[in-house]
Amino acid sequence: MAAGWISMELSLILVPFITLVSGCIIGYFAQKTGFCAIGGFRDYIMFRHTRLLNGFIAMIISAAVAFFIFNMITPMAFENFPWMMTKGLLSAVPGAPADLSQVAYIILALIGGVGMGVIGVYVGGCPLRQFVMTAEGSMKSLWFVIGMVVGSVIFYLVTSGFVVGLMKSMGL
Amino acid sequence: MNEGENILESSKGPIVLGIIIGVLAAIIQGLTISAGGPEAYGFCALCHTRDLVNGILNILLGTNLGLAALSKTAILPVLTMIGVLIGGVIAAKMSREFRIKHAQIKDILVYFIGGVLLMQFGLLFGACPYRAALRVGYGDFVAVFGIIGILAGVWLALIMITRSFKGGN
Repeated sequence: MAAGWISMELSLILVPFITLVSGCIIGYFAQKTGFCAIGGFRDYIMFRHTRLLNGFIAMIISAAVAFFIFNMITPMAFENFPWMMTKGLLSAVPGAPADLSQVAYIILALIGGVGMGVIGVYVGGCPLRQFVMTAEGSMKSLWFVIGMVVGSVIFYLVTSGFVVGLMKSMGL
Repeated sequence: MNEGENILESSKGPIVLGIIIGVLAAIIQGLTISAGGPEAYGFCALCHTRDLVNGILNILLGTNLGLAALSKTAILPVLTMIGVLIGGVIAAKMSREFRIKHAQIKDILVYFIGGVLLMQFGLLFGACPYRAALRVGYGDFVAVFGIIGILAGVWLALIMITRSFKGGN
């Protein structure tokens, strides 16, 4: 069991507050900067503009540096960091549907990535950008967010079981 | 307009936010990992929406829809995306960029279906572009495939859009 900086009891109470505050900070700055991951890729491919792409790269680097430093101070809170060294090169951090093979997770990462990229371009922004545009008063983006809300439920009622069954039937 | 706002709206703005998200995500993991995993979960526009929706439904209706261990054990699921909306409205109001922009029925359909589909693809990968970046930062090589996928998808969509313009549509 991983042990964080604060006790489990306190952590259980504070999770919603910590995430609410961090969300406010990210939302505020995302509105000010127009931050968008998919927009970053799009602008780079179309115009070779690097403004948004630099933000995405900065996020990867700063996360790696922060994980590295905090892991040296409190390794218990950052178990298995760096992941590919401790868990194996092709092992994935949990998040996708459980109990599939490593090959299946790579396939799902590729399919999921392509799907997000295509849809993101057509609706003019990644999920975070849609939330921020909703906060700016865009009704289109509000409907995108409502779609995400409905999609969360659909995923567990339909998609997850279907795809896991499909993967298993293919021996993955 | 003061100095800070200029930096945010300049070409360096996204870099500032990228660093904020990266460091915040690590701090959040330090503070919340005792409540349950997974790792590199400090910020995710998709997973945190899923946790909020399914967590609230599970509490209200007694259903058992899937969500991260962290949100299952805590008194309330993660509220990140509520925070993003609040922060976004505050920023938009302050800079007088808040304006209700109505949508037509066709747009509503496209965006609603887009939201549903993006959620399916994203949850199969287990990350939005942001958590993908955090996972790469955590040393998860599989997430690199996800980012390659996103790049390929963006490229594909741009080719399709360019073709349809050339076709006279």
